[in-house]
Amino acid sequence: MSAVRARGTLPGAVLKWVVLAAIALVMLIPMYILVISAFKPQAEIIQQPLLIDPSTFTWEYLQAALTSEKFNVVRAYGITLAFVALVNLFGIALAAPVAYVIARGRKKWHMGLLLLFVSGLFIPGQVTLIPVVFVLRVLGLINTVPGFILFETAATLPVTIFLFSAYLRTVPRDIDEAAALDGAGQIRAFWSCIFPIMKPVVATIVVLNSISVWNDFVSPQIILGPSSGIYTVTTGVYAAVGQYSTNYTVVFPTLLLAILPAVIFFVFMQRHIIGGLIAGATKG
Amino acid sequence: MAGPAVVVFLLMFIIPMILAFVLSLTDWNGYSLNFNFIGIENYRFAFRNPRTVDAVIFTGIVAVTGTVLCNIIGLAVAVLIAAPGRANTVLRTIFFYPYIISSLIIGFLWSAMLQPNGVANALLGHIGIGPLPFLIDPTWAKGSVIATILWSSFGFNMILFIAGIKSVPTEYYEAATVDGASRWQQFRSITVPLIAPVLTVNLVLTLVGLLKVYDVVLALTEGGPAAATQTVVYQILKDSFARSALGLGAAQSVVLLIATAVLGLTVTLARRGAERKVAA
Repeated sequence: MSAVRARGTLPGAVLKWVVLAAIALVMLIPMYILVISAFKPQAEIIQQPLLIDPSTFTWEYLQAALTSEKFNVVRAYGITLAFVALVNLFGIALAAPVAYVIARGRKKWHMGLLLLFVSGLFIPGQVTLIPVVFVLRVLGLINTVPGFILFETAATLPVTIFLFSAYLRTVPRDIDEAAALDGAGQIRAFWSCIFPIMKPVVATIVVLNSISVWNDFVSPQIILGPSSGIYTVTTGVYAAVGQYSTNYTVVFPTLLLAILPAVIFFVFMQRHIIGGLIAGATKG
Repeated sequence: MAGPAVVVFLLMFIIPMILAFVLSLTDWNGYSLNFNFIGIENYRFAFRNPRTVDAVIFTGIVAVTGTVLCNIIGLAVAVLIAAPGRANTVLRTIFFYPYIISSLIIGFLWSAMLQPNGVANALLGHIGIGPLPFLIDPTWAKGSVIATILWSSFGFNMILFIAGIKSVPTEYYEAATVDGASRWQQFRSITVPLIAPVLTVNLVLTLVGLLKVYDVVLALTEGGPAAATQTVVYQILKDSFARSALGLGAAQSVVLLIATAVLGLTVTLARRGAERKVAA
């Protein structure tokens, strides 16, 4: 029996690695082409897609993309990063106390509160976008940064509150009681005693929210709008690349610059990103 | 302590959701705050419009084939590389990485490669094939949209499946091996039943996510050629903002919201049944 199995597994193992290697190539070749094409002239990109010729290697196009007047990518990095930071800050500041109230509460309305926020997980953001435009217009916040931050912050609340309250249920109540005995009010006790314990779940949320705010295209496109003059990485790429999709000396360098921060972030945070997704999705 | 979050959430989520129903009955143009109630005219227009019907059909095709293929490939790859080890960790990273890149940029990347004079056709030309009409023939363009989605998303399903497989106690596999069960039998009788809840999460997340596909289509095909790859959300945003018919957009949004809820719930309930049968 074992001899039969051994005979059967060798070709099986070879097949397995051939298939995996083939898929890996399909996954990597587009990224490889994107990177090398940023340093080649148009004719070279079309005729020799997989090769990079040292004699025609040039920084010219990347430099042109960096200094392009249509899309200031460095400015877009700064703007998008600031949005990521602000949404994380407000999202966590709003969600953490609610999650604490929900995790500690034993009454029916606590459960109702959780359900209210979790319902947001099932509402597609694009579906509420049109009425959100109406609400922001009434508030005078349409095409403004505060309006955009308000919407993105609200969008982070469902996942954040869900994960925070699941985590806080595992934190012993003794800590709350000790803080109360020392005379701290509920809010004070939460921020100085409970919140520091939440580090792992806060890290997960920061990773998840950062990816989704950085990559969002529809909300900044609609809520900020071209009239605000404020471009994120995605809306800027759309404005810069949208109509020039066959001028590859513009397309590839711009795309390379656009994905560079995300790829660097991924390389360093890879373990946390994958771990955070698993935590987020299996509890959801 | 809960006050501020509730206010923000009501303002940006719950009230807009209710407002969507109200606005769907109006001719609101998005610019002013004035509008007239026109009854169910928007719904009637949307359902009679062949463009919308096409968009609904294409979205359905994308959602169903995307969900099925992402989960089959994701699960197959997960089974192959779930074991610990350096090679497996590297492969996981390679399969997963497009998830952190915005779908708009993935759409532009593949658009650059699949143009008639693009990289893909240049490579095919070297081996004597093509050029193939990846983005210019309606049927090919539909396939290109689905393939791009597959390329960028199966890694996410794979990661969840790996998490599920890792939670299965290794003793089960050891006992089965001792009893002489083949790898396929072990997969059928141990892995699949024990990761049933993960499969449910994967199916629902992929389906609900694919019903609102937009960014990839916008960057890859701009909905073309000849509107062949317009999705429902593409249509909603185009009607709403390019044509300033936000009332019509709201009506289509309401229909999408109901469809998403019904489909998501159906899959969840169907899977609940399957999970319970396994547990029994």
